[in-house]
Amino acid sequence: MVNPMPDNQSHPDMSAGAGQAELPIKVQARDVCVSYSGKQALNHVSIDVPDRSVTAFIGPSGCGKSTFLRCLNRMNDTIEGAKVVGSLKIDGLEVNDKSVDPVVLRANVGMVFQKPNPFPKSIYDNVAYGPRIHGLALSKDELDAIVEDSLKKAGLWDEVADRLNHPGTGLSGGQQQRLVIARAIAVNPEVILMDEPCSALDPIATAKIEELIDELRENYCIIIVTHSMQQAARVSQQTAFFHMGNLVEYGTTEEIFTNPRDPRTQDYITGRFG
Amino acid sequence: MSVTALIALAILVMLAGGFYAGRSRAIQAVAGNTVRLHSLPNYHGYYVAIWTGLPALLLLVAHGLFADKVVENLTYAELRRDAAALNAQLDEALSTDTVYEALRADAVQLRGRADSIASDLERLRSATGEDRDPERMEALDSQRLDALNAVTSADEAVLDRRMELVDGVAAAAREAGAPVRALAGFELTQAPRERRQLFLADTLNIAHGELPSRESRELVAAASIATRHQNQLRYLIGAMALVVAVAGLWRTRSQVEPAFRARNHVESLVTALLLFSSVIAILTTVGIVFSLLFESLRFFSTVPVSEFLFGLQWSPQIALRADQVGQSGAFGAVPLFAGTALITLIAMVVAVPIGLLAAVYLSEYAGPRFRATAKPLLEILAGIPTVVYGFFALLTVGPFIRGLFSWLGFEDVVTQSALSAGLVMGIMIIPFISSLSDDVINSVPQTLRDGSYAMGATRSETISHVVLPAALPGIVGAVLLGVSRAVGETMIVVMAAGQGANLTANPLESVTTITVQIVMLLTGDQEFDSPKTLSAFALGLVLFVVTLIMNVVALRVVQRYREKYD
Repeated sequence: MVNPMPDNQSHPDMSAGAGQAELPIKVQARDVCVSYSGKQALNHVSIDVPDRSVTAFIGPSGCGKSTFLRCLNRMNDTIEGAKVVGSLKIDGLEVNDKSVDPVVLRANVGMVFQKPNPFPKSIYDNVAYGPRIHGLALSKDELDAIVEDSLKKAGLWDEVADRLNHPGTGLSGGQQQRLVIARAIAVNPEVILMDEPCSALDPIATAKIEELIDELRENYCIIIVTHSMQQAARVSQQTAFFHMGNLVEYGTTEEIFTNPRDPRTQDYITGRFG
Repeated sequence: MSVTALIALAILVMLAGGFYAGRSRAIQAVAGNTVRLHSLPNYHGYYVAIWTGLPALLLLVAHGLFADKVVENLTYAELRRDAAALNAQLDEALSTDTVYEALRADAVQLRGRADSIASDLERLRSATGEDRDPERMEALDSQRLDALNAVTSADEAVLDRRMELVDGVAAAAREAGAPVRALAGFELTQAPRERRQLFLADTLNIAHGELPSRESRELVAAASIATRHQNQLRYLIGAMALVVAVAGLWRTRSQVEPAFRARNHVESLVTALLLFSSVIAILTTVGIVFSLLFESLRFFSTVPVSEFLFGLQWSPQIALRADQVGQSGAFGAVPLFAGTALITLIAMVVAVPIGLLAAVYLSEYAGPRFRATAKPLLEILAGIPTVVYGFFALLTVGPFIRGLFSWLGFEDVVTQSALSAGLVMGIMIIPFISSLSDDVINSVPQTLRDGSYAMGATRSETISHVVLPAALPGIVGAVLLGVSRAVGETMIVVMAAGQGANLTANPLESVTTITVQIVMLLTGDQEFDSPKTLSAFALGLVLFVVTLIMNVVALRVVQRYREKYD
């Protein structure tokens, strides 16, 4: 169960175990509680997420995993009546601190949503969106380079190189999702949040995205919310199981799927509920 | 209470009875076990009631619509028969009257002369080169006018003589004690066309117990005939309606049985009713369009389309005499198009930015409480009658603009200017733009906004780079609807922009628009065969086509937008 004591960083429920010890901690949450208009959605969640790896959040619908994800880039700010308390640090910097500008934070924490949401602009403009608003490119050539690099990292370059000025909404669902990933990494974030990125895609597009996630792991801290336990098992190194707004169990993916400690985790991954 | 009303009441009673008869028979047929029925008992009731009442009531409605026309024709035919002897007498008198014959011969001869002058003139006009003789053409033209006048007065003389003889025959018949009906028929059949219609209308008025335009023994006699026909027709139709109702009741009641598909029959009747309603709406539209079209064609037979569409002079005077100078007026509508465009432009320059920014604030920035108050308040603007905007423009904005621009050093600024009308019209259109744009902006999916925020964009960056581009087609649609509203607006312009058909781009001058001119052309005394009146229809047609095109484009644009996100 979750330990409410915020100081104990080596608590087994917070860090994912000895196997990942060599990776530095990127995201550190202590007693994070979220309520929407007074309704509690997340209860005292404490977790340490390591850098350069994929961490999966699993759990039944309404368990709070997306809510927690949205705390990490303060997207809950855009929701009326949302209230976040507790300590949440990225690279030791308090996210909810008043001095933190959410605009700067979000440039550092990219997010990919459940439904592909390319802007109604060209493929090029979609990827160039972030660099433009943050002034990351000083010249047109630089911007071109960023766009090409991002599309290559997202594995989309070969498919769209000859039609960069076509509308992004004209791509297939899987391509759109990779375009959105390219858009997110174009501003060079350190953390990438993915909220069920494959739930609107067919199996082949899903396989491509999963492959991409595995490649991106080398350079980013990736947190992915998923309903598919197979997906969690395939792509992640750590898995956290949420239930009814609580973080029930957190550990290496292998451990969670082969030897869960909590009976609820056991029931969920064996398909007895959820 | 009239017979027809009584019969209608009886049919309504039968209709109600039919409902219960159908219902109870259906229940009886299955001995109360209604589960065995194909349709619920009420459907059987509706079915019987509809076929009992509907045809009979339609018959009564048709009677109400067409009875007067039928009675009129029957009365006319009967009066004509009664007057046969007198008509024969008149024919004989006409054929023996030498004065009448001489006058007729005169008229024929004069007409021949006028025709030959006209054909000479035609030949001269089509001639080219040396043969073309303007002086002779002018002389011939005046000769032709004289000849036409002579023909007209000869025709009048013929008619006068004929009426003298008619009066003579009628007087003699009255002396000889001919029946009043025969005299009435004689008066009716010998009257000129329009007098005949008046006679029949008066007859029916007396028969209905209403006030006729004049009283006479002949009219009263004719009215008694009309009354007789009226009553006969009324009883005949009434009896038919009753028979139809009873037959319907009997026939449909015998159809009721457990397997009878009453609900399907009722369903098809409901379909027919719905179809009928929509057909009425469509036919009305088609009728309006066709009346515009045909009157415009009449107008274009006197004024060429090219002159109307491209002429720079608009002064639609009435010709009091056939040979008046400037008789045909000037029907170049370009000043009106330009005035309409100018005022619309000013209005949109006011309405689009304010409306759009208000919509952005309401949908993206305002809290729910402010939004709940501000949106209805803004929409109240749309509920203000345009005439109120009109005097606001005339009494407040106009003088203010005049004062402002004279202070700035402009000379001769008038109160009634395109600027004041355009400004006020723009204010009127703000709620259109803001309300529609607000809806469109709200229907931009939240995921797009989230995507932009997650990239670290601020609110205004998100709005200008993502939300507005996504909503653009819908906003364009809203603006186009606003434009068609501005183009069609009349009252504000009548009051605030003056009526001078100036061709100008200066917003401080007074201009006039298509709609205002239509109002001017169709108010006051008018004759429906002068180009002045008919030009209103041509203007209406232009207006209709322009707004139609804009509405179609706007709807298409909005539709394409909808397809994208639903």
